[in-house]
Formats: sequence, C-alpha cells, structure tokens
Amino acid sequence: MTDSTELWTKDDTGPVIRPDEPRWPKIIRWIAVIVIIGPLIWGLLGLEISADNLRRAPGQMWNLVQQVWPPDFSETGRTFEKILESLYVAWIATIIGATLSFPLGFLAATNIAPRSVTLPVRSLLSGIRAFPELVLAIMLIPAFGLGPFPGALAIGIHSIGTLGKLTSEVIEGVDEGPIEAIRASGGTRMQAMQFGVVPQAMPNVLAYWLYRFEINIRASAVLGVIGAGGIGDEIYSRFLFVPDRSKGFAALLVMIATVLVIDAISASVRRRIITGQPSRSMMARLMQRLFAKKRPAETSS
Amino acid sequence: MIEFTNATVVYPGGLKALDDVTVTIEPGEFVVVVGLSGAGKSTMLRAVNGFVPIVGGSVKVLDQEVRGASNKDLRGLRSNIGMIFQTFNLVNRARVMNNVLMGRLAQVPRWRSTLGMWPEDDKELALQALERVDIIEKAYIRASDLSGGQQQRVGIARALAQDPKILLADEPVASLDPVTSHMVMRDLQRINRDLGITTLINLHFLDLARAYGKRLIGLRDGKLVYDGDIADVSDEVFRDIYGRAITPDDLLET
Amino acid sequence: MTAIDAAAPVSGVRPQEPTSSFRFVVGAIVMGVGAAIVGAATLGIGWLWGAATAGVVYGVLWWLGLARSPIDAGIMVIAGAVSGQWFVAVLDGRAGPVDIAETTPAALGFVVFGAAVAWALRHRLTVAAAALVTVSWAAAVALPTQYGVGLGILADLGRRELREGVLQVLGSSFFTMVPLLAVLFAGSLTVALATKRAAPASVGLAVVMSVISFNMIEFSVVELFTQASQIGDLAKEFWPPTWTWPKTIGQEPTNVIIDPFIETLQIAVVGATLGCLMALPLAFMAARPTTPDEPTYWGAKSFMNVIRTIPDLFWAIIFTAAVGFNAFAGALAMVFFSLAIMSKLLSETVDSIELGPLEAARATGSRHAQVIQYAALPQVLPNYVAYALYIFELNVRASVVIGIVGAGGIGRLLNEQRNFFQWDRVMAIVIVIFVTVILIEMVSILIRRRLV
Repeated sequence: MTDSTELWTKDDTGPVIRPDEPRWPKIIRWIAVIVIIGPLIWGLLGLEISADNLRRAPGQMWNLVQQVWPPDFSETGRTFEKILESLYVAWIATIIGATLSFPLGFLAATNIAPRSVTLPVRSLLSGIRAFPELVLAIMLIPAFGLGPFPGALAIGIHSIGTLGKLTSEVIEGVDEGPIEAIRASGGTRMQAMQFGVVPQAMPNVLAYWLYRFEINIRASAVLGVIGAGGIGDEIYSRFLFVPDRSKGFAALLVMIATVLVIDAISASVRRRIITGQPSRSMMARLMQRLFAKKRPAETSS
Repeated sequence: MIEFTNATVVYPGGLKALDDVTVTIEPGEFVVVVGLSGAGKSTMLRAVNGFVPIVGGSVKVLDQEVRGASNKDLRGLRSNIGMIFQTFNLVNRARVMNNVLMGRLAQVPRWRSTLGMWPEDDKELALQALERVDIIEKAYIRASDLSGGQQQRVGIARALAQDPKILLADEPVASLDPVTSHMVMRDLQRINRDLGITTLINLHFLDLARAYGKRLIGLRDGKLVYDGDIADVSDEVFRDIYGRAITPDDLLET
Repeated sequence: MTAIDAAAPVSGVRPQEPTSSFRFVVGAIVMGVGAAIVGAATLGIGWLWGAATAGVVYGVLWWLGLARSPIDAGIMVIAGAVSGQWFVAVLDGRAGPVDIAETTPAALGFVVFGAAVAWALRHRLTVAAAALVTVSWAAAVALPTQYGVGLGILADLGRRELREGVLQVLGSSFFTMVPLLAVLFAGSLTVALATKRAAPASVGLAVVMSVISFNMIEFSVVELFTQASQIGDLAKEFWPPTWTWPKTIGQEPTNVIIDPFIETLQIAVVGATLGCLMALPLAFMAARPTTPDEPTYWGAKSFMNVIRTIPDLFWAIIFTAAVGFNAFAGALAMVFFSLAIMSKLLSETVDSIELGPLEAARATGSRHAQVIQYAALPQVLPNYVAYALYIFELNVRASVVIGIVGAGGIGRLLNEQRNFFQWDRVMAIVIVIFVTVILIEMVSILIRRRLV
C-alpha cells in the first residue's frame, strides 16, 4: 500500500487540518475490559475453579452422557402425569397472578392513581418480586404441607409482582385522549377506566398473562425439587441415583418437548392477540381454508 | 477490465433481471447506466462484484471470472472494487473513521481487525480518502450526526480507502437533494479523472447522466438497448430505453 | 324523544351489529353452568339429561343469534335424548372403574348430538367445520369421562358403583362435572367455528383448564384461610431470625452466612460473564442477517430454543450430576442459563438490524467475521450491554436457588437449615436474599438509566 499513498495527490483539497484522534474511546475500551475481566477473575479465584477441575470436567461430562444415554422412556406415562401436574400448578398460579395483579396494576399506574397510592403499591410489587418462587415455596410449605398447593400459591404470589409491574407499564402507555374524552362528556372515573383504559391495555395485558404462563410452567417444574409437586422431583430424584439417570434424562427430554410445543402455541396466540391478525403459519392458513370459507350474510348490500 | 459476455442473471423466483448482456468496459472509463426501475441497472452493478447469481454467459472482472468463483476469490475481487450505495449504508453508531476503515478490512491481518489495532498505513489511507472527499474535519464524529450529503461522501471515502481499481455507484444521489447531488457527482467525476478508477454509475435522472457521463448504457427489461457515447444520445434513444416519452420525473431539475 | 330528527332522510342500509365478544363469553359460561345444573338435577336419567342439556345448548345458540329454527331445536333435543340415554346405558352396565374401553363407546353416542348441532348451524359452517363440530362433542364428552375419573373429586367415582338405581352425591357430581367440562369445551368450539372468532373457544378452553387444574391440585380456598389463620403460630418459629450459629456442633456461633453469600455472588458473576460472551457467536449464527449459511442457522436456532426450555435449577441438577456438589457445578449451570437467555434476546435484536452496512462491508471484500464485527456488532452493542446487566440481575436470583440442589452458594445453606426445620435461621437467609435482590435490581436500574 506504499504506492497508493503517493498516488493520491492532495492538490485540489485545501490545507484542512486533520483533527486529533480523540482519546476517550480507547479509555472506555480499557475500562470495559477491566470491568469484564476483573470480576470474572475474582469469581473464578473465589470459586476455586482450578485447572484440575477444568481438566476433569470434560471426562465427567462424558461419564454423565454415558449414564443417561440411551434415555429410558419406559416410564413416560408417569412423566406425563407429572408434567400435567406442573401444568395445572402453572395455570392456577397464572390465574392467581392475573386476577390479583390486574387491580394492583391500575393502582400502580402513575397516570391513573395518585402518588400516595402508587408509591406503596409499587414497593409492595417489587417486594414480592424480590422473593424467588423457590424461596417463597420454602416459606409456604411448613404452613400448607408438601404438594402442589403451596407451589401454586408461591408461583402465583410471585406472578402478582411481575404481572402487576408489567400491567402498570401497559396502562401508563395508553393513549390519554379517550380518557379525557370520556371525562369531558361527563363520565365517571370508573367509566373512564372501563371504556378508555381497559380496551387499550387488554391485548398487551392478555399477552403478558400468556407469557407468564410459559414462565410459570418452568417455575412449577423447578418447584418439584423441594416437594411442591410436578415434574421437578421426578427428574431430581432420578438424577441423584446413578442407575436411574437414563430415566431422569428421558423425563427431561419429554419435558423439553412439551415446553417447546406449549411455547410455540402460546407465542402464536400472543402474536394473534397483539397484532389482531391471524398467524401466517402454514397450519393457520390451512385452518383458515378449511373452516372459514363463508362469512354469515352480515353484509346485506 | 469488465467484460459481460451473454451474461444472464435470474433471481430465485424466476425473475430474469439481466438477459443476455454483452458489454466491455475499458480501464479508466466513466460509464453511466440508465433505465427504469426494475430494468436491471442494480443487477448489472451487482453482477460485477458477485452479489447476484449469474446463471448464464460470463462476467469477467480484472481477468477474474465472477461466475462460479470461490468465496475466497470473490473476496479478493471485491477488495479491488469499491461500492457506493443509495442509502449510504454506513454504520450509524460508529464514528466516521471506523466506517472508512471498513474499506481496509480485506487488507489487514485477521488479528489486527479483531482487536481493532489498525496499522498506521491503513489509517493514513483512510484519512487521505476523507481528505479527497473534503470531509476530514468530521473524522471522529458519529456517522449518524452527519447530513445526507456528508454521509454519502463518507460512503465514497470508504470505497476510496479500498484503493480500488473499479468503483460501482448504485444510485448514489437518489436520496439527496439537487445541490448535494451535483456535489457528489462532481466528486465521483474528479475521482475518475484524477485517480483513473474505472467508474460504473447507476442513475435515474437523465440530465445528471448527460451532465457527467461519457459513455451511456441503456437497459430495458434486463436487455441491453443502448451502448455508446453520451453525446450521441437523442431523445429518441431515451424513449427507446424508457419505453415512453421523457417526463419531468426523469429529470433532476425541470 | 331524541335530539336527532326522526324524519331526517336515511341513506343506505344500517349494518347489522356484530355480536360482542362479551356476549360470547357470557354465552359460553351460561352454557357450561346450565349443563352442570341440568346434570345435577336429572341425576343421570339419561334421556332427560341429554334432552335438557340440548335445550340449554340450543337456548344459548339462539341467544347468540346463531340458530333460529324451532325444527332444529326439536332435532337437537331428540338427538340429545338419544345421546344421553346411550351414554348412561353403556356406563350403567359396567362393573369396575371406568376405563377407556367403556368411555369411548359411551361417548360415541354424542356424535349424534354433535351432528344435530352441526345441522342446526349448517348455514354457518363449512363441511370441514361441521365435521369438526360433530366429532368435538363426542370427544369433549369422552375426555372428562375418561380423564375425569382422575380428577380430584371425581377420582373416587371411578371406583364407585354408578349403577345402583339411586345415584349417590358423588354420582351427581360426576354428572355435574362431565357436562360442565364437555359442554363448555365443545360448545365454545362450536360457537367459535360458527362465528369465525377465536374468542369463544379461547374462553371455553381457559375455563375448562381452570376447572380441571383447581380440581387436580386440590386447591381449596377454605384451606387457604384455615391455614392462614394459624400463621401466627408459625411466625413464632420464623421470628426472630438467628444470624449466627455454630459451623459444626460444639463450635462457637459465628456468622456463617457471609462466605456462602459471597460464593453465590461469584457464581453469578462467572456465569453471567462467560454466558454473555459465549452468547455472542451463537446469537449471530442464529440471526438471519448474520448467519453464515442455512444449516448453521437452523442448528444454532434449535440449540438456542432447546436450552431455553431448561430452567435454572435443572441445569444445576445436570451439572451436579456430572461434576459433583460444588460451586463449579453452579457456575457451569449459570453459564448455560445465561447463554440461553442472552442468545435469544440478542439474536432477536440482530434480526432487526439494518442490512445496508452489512452489504457495504461485504462489498469491500471483508471476511464474514469482520462483517459481523464491524457492521453488525456496533448496531446491537447498547442493547447487548443492557441485556448483560439484566442477565446479571437474573443470575443473582438464580444462583441463590441453584444451591438447593447442592450447587454451592447460599442456597445450599438454605436447604440444609430447611431440612433441619431451623426456621429462624431460614428466615435470616431469606432476609439476606431479599435485600441482595432488591439492591442488585436498584443498581441495575440506575446503570441502565445512565446508558439510555
């Protein structure tokens, strides 16, 4: 590239002074590297992750693979029962979360409720969120005994926290115009909510409920580990006992497949709710063709 | 330098965008390609650097067959061909200098580009390219903070930083206002004249083509309908290329 | 009467008001509850039960404006009577628990009823939809009858005699639950198909799911309140929290929370950092604009979707099974947990970047990795940083819980104390977790606000 530098003469461009290269991007880059590497090293040293540890890890992983492969699907029926139980728990938790978070979401929205209300409600919601489901369940099990009931309560309570926050954000994002219009035409505060806020917020809130259901399925699967019903205990206890690991792995695979299917359905429903448009997947188009040929003669022209 | 021999381009989906085109472009030429949108102007440019699939005939650029070239050969070829885009295609969040240095990516060792440690020579080339398009004072400003005309000049600088043998400009002024359009066209003309870089430009506006072009290639429905000196082009020829009379829409300034 | 002049010229025909979603929802619930009441009232006298259920279904269809012919009503009632009688007759003859061999033929009778419903709605259904309606009635009766025997209160029913002349309370609840679930499900599906709207079917499905769920996990509001009233006794065990206790028996009480707590933070840091770094290549491979080729795209995307379905604790189970019960397993679990979320978030962001700069970079003859680094990465970098903070936040929460299966950190301590019913110590740990999570969230919000 030495030739080319001479090739370009600077005759017609005037004597413009080249700006100095600023220093701060380089400084920021070094700070970023330190912020990433420093804590990482602190963590690695603290966890005593030695070279020995790392050297043995692949072998140990390979051992595990040999233990779980091939997966033993002989108890898939039982697995399904347990997965169903997890689904029930997740569903009830979602219902608890949805019904209780809905009013709380209104009370936490700054454009609806006065500051004296939103502040305590918001702290309540973030307080609830700070308890992981598992910790909540550990506190509830002594009161309600082992089984899916305390699990559903724990996940439900946690869902109130997350859904309440999301609902309030949706409500804060609604267009204020219709509310003002209703108030201006003599409507009460409640009427403004019902006709001005709820129709605008509902699609997004519904989508969040569904999304929460997807998350709650995973949470309820986890809760089984501490004895709150569902698939978790099945997988956990199978993995503890080496000869049973292939069964545990089979259960894990079945769970993954189920969750994938439910996620896919839920995602397409959510898209449908938010956009108001039918999904464009092949399946959806087939359904459309089969079942929606003629509309009732509403448009009598 | 660039040889199209019965070149045909068919897009997935069956659209024949370039149909049996035979053209030879000599080193140092300044060629303007005109035609309606969809006539295959863009496709013709993109056939030169292998961005579109050539299914028939041959396209030879810098003695390298583009059709069926390996990825490695294509990369080598592209490093010698600068390209300028209608939408500038700058990385908006990056600084101007980094955008221009992208033109050097094919020339620097892999570890240097990964760590962002550019050799001084390449930085010098990038700065010179910026000087040539007269925008050196903006070198360390974010690309998104520039106006449209300035952004296009950064786009040209990026292509120049490649130290290219060929310059492809795909509707370089279509997103710009008339005054800026003329400035950018003059820049391109000057680069062609001073550096002797073979330049191939797509234009929609006829008056710009007349004002700056030397040789004109007319395309219609992917077929070559005119190839010759721009001075010989009459309204008849334009009618032939466009399939209709010239309207004010086809001119930048009416 | 009104401000609008009645004599004003009317132009055009007024469009018919479409039935509101609200009406569908009410209709679906009326249909289900009505059928349940009918089921309880008729006490399993087959033909009466079927005919009355048919009446309820027709009533709702009429109210929704879907069916308007008295002849169709007659046909439906007769079909209902036949179906109901068939159902009871088949089940009456059985000796043991209801099983699939009896359920299927018993429910098959409802094909007749389904056909009658489809006939009544013939003007609104395509052939395929009519077929689906017909089958759905039989299926909707079959499912609660078969799986209904596994449902909470219904669980005992399968083992009890249904036939002995007078039906027991349990028997009537069987005839309450089965029609409730069946009619809600098939009825709302029918209405949905007839009106080409998804809302009725969704509501029906949701209600059915709720009824089943509450039954299955024996969720009881009564228990909730009885237990809640005794929470005072329990609170005494939890409060006041104990902050220090001996490490092993016989030692002085010391603060044993600090070390595991720091270990938890370290697990979170290592997991988040390595996971986020590993997510970079994966996310670019699994995003349309930056994927090198089709097989890589599908491979990366499937891998991403699969690892996303595995919850944090299950990663810990897998890695403790492999490398033992230590913090190393916890860190590995957190790496994969972070990788799953980050790659998903980032690849979705990459999917929506501007394509122009990528093309420009390719036009200069750059290698694929260079194109990504110089044209794609700068576009998503601010998002990436924001996501990384969010993931660190998630990691702190998750690394608390993964200790419960033995993957190190404060969770392990929590589980130990829980197993010994040391609720005062559990309380202390929970408070530490609570404060940490709140603090991390606040810091994360502060930094993110600075970024934007």
